[in-house]
Amino acid sequence: MAPIVDGLKTEYEGTVEFRLYDVEKDPEGSALATEFGAQYVPTFVFVNSDGSVAGQIVGESTEEVMRAKLDALN
Amino acid sequence: MKNAKIAVWVVVAIVVVGLGALVLAPQSGVENVDGARMDELAAEGVRIVDVRTAGEFEMGHVAGAENVPISGFEGAAGTWDKAQPLAVYCATGERSITAVQLLQSMGFEKVYHFNEGLVAYAGELEGGQAVAQAPIDETLETPVLYEFYTDW
Repeated sequence: MAPIVDGLKTEYEGTVEFRLYDVEKDPEGSALATEFGAQYVPTFVFVNSDGSVAGQIVGESTEEVMRAKLDALN
Repeated sequence: MKNAKIAVWVVVAIVVVGLGALVLAPQSGVENVDGARMDELAAEGVRIVDVRTAGEFEMGHVAGAENVPISGFEGAAGTWDKAQPLAVYCATGERSITAVQLLQSMGFEKVYHFNEGLVAYAGELEGGQAVAQAPIDETLETPVLYEFYTDW
């Protein structure tokens, strides 16, 4: 997934902020994952700028699916 | 020798009857389902119960779902027909598992659990498109994608 996420991060720079957490090494990320209800890795959580959660992807995904979710954010 | 044959036939009969009962018995218990199956269940007329808060429900919910927040769930479920199947969900599966356990203890025969929760729902929501409020206490300048990962 890393190459896909890296590519999307560059493409959506200034439009969508990417916050990546290694839950094994980052206690803050681990706590945040718990608050989001994320139980598996990788988990992607898409949040609108008003703080509402627009969706979540659990597990591996495709660039096409990721892009559709990102484009739907507001 | 004759007794041995009878014993064998008795065992065979027990096995056949047992297997028949398993096949013919109505499906019961709890079944985890995904979002697509939830849509099918709604189309089949199965009661769909959203156990999130009223505010979350208004932000968007599965079409046809009714809102029974987990705080008042047990009281409401006490008035429902235990023989009728129903499906429950929340945002992430954490609250709905409590509802599932309550339903089991109350004797409901068939419970479908959308255990991944609404955040994993890919269908069109009714009433809005936000499935939950993020547990963050800050103003976001742009939408955010969180990725939780680890290097194995």
